[in-house]
Amino acid sequence: MFRYESLEDCPLDEDEDAFQGLGEEDEEIDQFNEDTFGSGAVDDDWQEAHERLAELEEKLPAAVNEQTGNGERDEMDLLGDHEENLAERLSKMVIENELEDPAIMRAVQTRPVLQPQPGSLNSSIWDGSEVLRRIRGPLLAQEMPTVSVLEYALPQKPPQGPEDDRDLSERALPRRSTSPIIGSPPVRAVPIGTPPKQMAVPSFNQQILCPKPVHVRPPMPPRYPAPYGERMSPNQLCNVPLQPGRMSPSQFARVPGFVGSPLAAMNPKLLQGRVGQMLPPAPGFRAFFSAPPPATPPPPQQHPPGPGPLVQNLRSQAPMFRADTTHLHPQHRRLLHQRQQQNRNQHRNLNGAGDRGSHRSSHQDHLRKDPYANLMLQREKDWVAKIQMMQLQSTDPYLDDFYYQNYFEKLEKLSAAEELQGDGPKKERTKLITPQVAKLEHAYKPVQFEGSLGKLTVSSVNNPRKMIDAVVTSRSEDDETKEKQVRDKRRKTLVIIEKTYSLLLDVEDYERRYLLSLEEERPALMDERKHKICSMYDNLRGKLPGQERPSDDLFVQIMCIRKGKRMVARILPFLSTEQAADILMTTARNLPFLIKKDAQDEVLPCLLSPFSLLLYHLPSVTVTSLLQQLMNLPQSAAAPAPSNPHLTAVLQNKFGLSLLLVVLSRGEDLQSSDPATESTENNQWMQVMFMATRELLRIPQAALAKPISIPTNLVSLFSRYVDRQKLNLLETKLQLVQGIR
Amino acid sequence: MNYMPGTASLIEDIDKKHLVLLRDGRTLIGFLRSIDQFANLVLHQTVERIHVGKKYGDIPRGIFVVRGENVVLLGEIDLEKESDTPLQQVSIEEILEEQRVEQQTKLENEKLKVQALKDRGLSVPRADTLDEY
Repeated sequence: MFRYESLEDCPLDEDEDAFQGLGEEDEEIDQFNEDTFGSGAVDDDWQEAHERLAELEEKLPAAVNEQTGNGERDEMDLLGDHEENLAERLSKMVIENELEDPAIMRAVQTRPVLQPQPGSLNSSIWDGSEVLRRIRGPLLAQEMPTVSVLEYALPQKPPQGPEDDRDLSERALPRRSTSPIIGSPPVRAVPIGTPPKQMAVPSFNQQILCPKPVHVRPPMPPRYPAPYGERMSPNQLCNVPLQPGRMSPSQFARVPGFVGSPLAAMNPKLLQGRVGQMLPPAPGFRAFFSAPPPATPPPPQQHPPGPGPLVQNLRSQAPMFRADTTHLHPQHRRLLHQRQQQNRNQHRNLNGAGDRGSHRSSHQDHLRKDPYANLMLQREKDWVAKIQMMQLQSTDPYLDDFYYQNYFEKLEKLSAAEELQGDGPKKERTKLITPQVAKLEHAYKPVQFEGSLGKLTVSSVNNPRKMIDAVVTSRSEDDETKEKQVRDKRRKTLVIIEKTYSLLLDVEDYERRYLLSLEEERPALMDERKHKICSMYDNLRGKLPGQERPSDDLFVQIMCIRKGKRMVARILPFLSTEQAADILMTTARNLPFLIKKDAQDEVLPCLLSPFSLLLYHLPSVTVTSLLQQLMNLPQSAAAPAPSNPHLTAVLQNKFGLSLLLVVLSRGEDLQSSDPATESTENNQWMQVMFMATRELLRIPQAALAKPISIPTNLVSLFSRYVDRQKLNLLETKLQLVQGIR
Repeated sequence: MNYMPGTASLIEDIDKKHLVLLRDGRTLIGFLRSIDQFANLVLHQTVERIHVGKKYGDIPRGIFVVRGENVVLLGEIDLEKESDTPLQQVSIEEILEEQRVEQQTKLENEKLKVQALKDRGLSVPRADTLDEY
C-alpha cells in the first residue's frame, strides 16, 4: 500500500507524473524489506530459533559419531576444490545442533564457517539447513531421534557377514541420482535380530502405522547422500571400510593398486552422488580403517602392501560383536553363529592358499568379481528386514501366528523328549520370542493441513472414511426366481456354518485359555464356554426350541455341505449326551438323503468315530430306536416291509454300513453285559433285531459297501436271532468272519 | 533366514542369479539387485527366456523393475548347474516363430473343442459365471 506522508504529497492531477510519483513512493516503501529479504530473514529466523530451542531437549549424544564424522570431513577437504563446493553445500544440510556442538566445532578447523549466503533468493535443494529447517517434515523430526537411539545403541557394529567378501570389489559408488526419497531406509546400527528398544518401537510403529505429519511440506532432500557432515552412524562407519562404496567398472581394474593410487585416479564425478559413502583418499584411508576403536588415526606411514592384508588388518581390529541373540530360537542362533563362523573362515582364506573349492567359495568369487554387487546397501537391506520384523510383532502371537507357534512347540517337545531319552548335553531351551509389543492405544490424530480453512479430513488406513453410501435392500420373496431362492438359502446355511465354526474354534481354545488365566477368571470362562456350546447346538438344530423338533431341515442343510459335516464331527464331543443323541437320531433319520448328497464329497465317514464314541454312552432304549431309524424298520414286526430303499441306501454306503454295524455291536454289548435289563427294553431290542436280520438277509451281497471297521461281537449277536444256516449266510454277506476278508 | 527362522526373505538372494516367473507367463532370468517390502524386484542383466517344447530362446532385456504382485515365483539359479540342461538354445527369431506356431495350434484346438461341445448342446462354464462352491 502506498504510504503518504501527507495528503499534499498525493499526485492528483498529472498523469504522467503519477507513475513517477509512484515510483518515488516505492523507494520509500522498500518492497524488498529487511524482514523478508534482508538480514531479518537470514539472521533473525524465528522459525529456526524456535526449532533450535525445541531440539535442545531432544539433543542426543552425538559425540561419538560426530568425532568420527569429522574425521571424514577432513578427508573430504583433500579431494580437491572441485568437490569442496559440493561438500560444502552438502554439509550445510547438517542438522543444526551438530554445528553447535563444541565437539564438532573443535574438530572442524578446516571447514569454513557455514553461513547462509545473504540475499540468496533462489533456494535450491542444496541450500543450507536453515532452509531445510522449514521444509523438513515432522516425519523426519520424529524419525531422527529414533534412528539415533538405534545408532548409538551399539557402539561397535559388527562387520556384516555377507559383505565381508565383497569389500575388495567395491570401492566407489556408481553415480546415483539423489532424488528425494521419502521413507528411505534410515541408518540402523542394531542388527535386526535384536529386540527393538521399547522407545524405538512405538515411535516406529507410530511413524509407520500412524503417520502424524502436522504440516504437509515439500519432500525432504535426500537424507542419505549424507555427507560426512551428517552423523555417521557406527553402521555406516563400519560399512565404509568394509564396503567402501562401489567400484565403477573402470575403477575396478585398479583394485590391486588401489591403496597406493594417486588421488587423481579417483574420478570425482563418481563421488557426487554418494559422498558420504565415498572412500577417502589414501592418507585419510588409514584413519578411516582404524576409526572404530582408536580415537587417533595411526600414522600415515603405515602402508600395508595390498588390499588383502588391509582387510586382515581390519579383521583384527574390528572385533566380532555378538549381537544379543538370546531371544532367538536356539536353532536360529546356531545358524547365525555358524554363518558368522563361516564368513570368518572365508576371510582367513581370502588371501591365503586356502582353496576350499567349495561351491560357496566359488560363489563368493563370483560376487567378488561382480562389479554391480551391493547396489543395495546393507542399510537398505536392514530396512527391508526391519519392516518384515515389524510385521512379526504381535501382541498375541498365538492368535496371529497360530501355526508357526504350534509347529515350534511341537519341535521343542520333540527335542525335549529326545533329550530325556538320550540324556545328552543339555540343549538350549529358550523359546522363540518374537518381539512383543505392548498394545499401544494411541489416539490417532488425523492429518491436518497447515494453512487450510477448516478441517480437511484425509482418509487413510488408520482413519477410514465411508466413501459410498450403500443401502442394503432386502429383496422380497416374490421377486426372486426359484434358483435365487435356493442360492440364498444355501448362502444362509453357509453363514450359519461359519458362525458356528467360529464358536467351535473358541470353545476348543478354552483349554489353553484356562491354563493361562487366573483363578478368579476361570468360572467366568467356564460359563462362557457353556454358553457357546449351547449356541452352537442351537445353530445346528434351529432356534425353535419346541418339544419336538419341527423340522430337521436346517440340520440337513448343514450336513449337505462338506464343511458342515466336518464341523458336526468336531462339535459332537462338546455336546451333552442328549444333544448329541438328538443329532445322531436326526442323522440316522435322514441318512439316505445325506448319503446321496455326500456322493461327491465322501466326508461322512469322518462322523463315524465321534458317533461311535457317543454310542458307548447311550442307553439301550436309544440304541434300539436308533437302530429302528437307521434301518427304517416298520413299527410292528408283523407287517412285512415290501422293500426298504432306506436300508438299501444305508447298506450301500460305507458310512451307513459302518454305522449300522457299530449300532448293532453296541446293542449286543448292552444285551450281553447287563442281564438285569428291563424286559420291555429287551423285547424291543429283540423285535428290532429280528426285523433287522430279516432285512439283512434279503439284501443281495453285491450291493453292500465295505465298512470302515467291523466290530467283533456281531457273530454272537446274530447267532441269537437266526439259525445256523442263516448265520452263515449273514456271515458271508457281511464278511463277518475274518478269514473271508 | 538370517534374522528369523520361519520367515521368507529375499535379502539373502540379493546379487544372485534368479529365475522369475511372472503372472503373465513370462520367464525372466537376471541378477536380483534390489528388493523392497512388497517384493518388488530389480533385475539386472535380465534375459527373457521363451520356452517352446525342448527349445528355448533368450531375449536380452537389460534392467527390469518388477512389481511384486506380478511375481508368481522365483528361485535362485545354481550357476554351476545352469549349463547342464536337456533343453536346446536357439535363436530369438526361431523361438518366436515356434511360439507363434504353438499359440496358433492351441487356439485352433480350443476352437474345435468349443465347437464340439456346442454341437452336443453343452457349454464350457466360464469361471466368472460360476456361483457354486
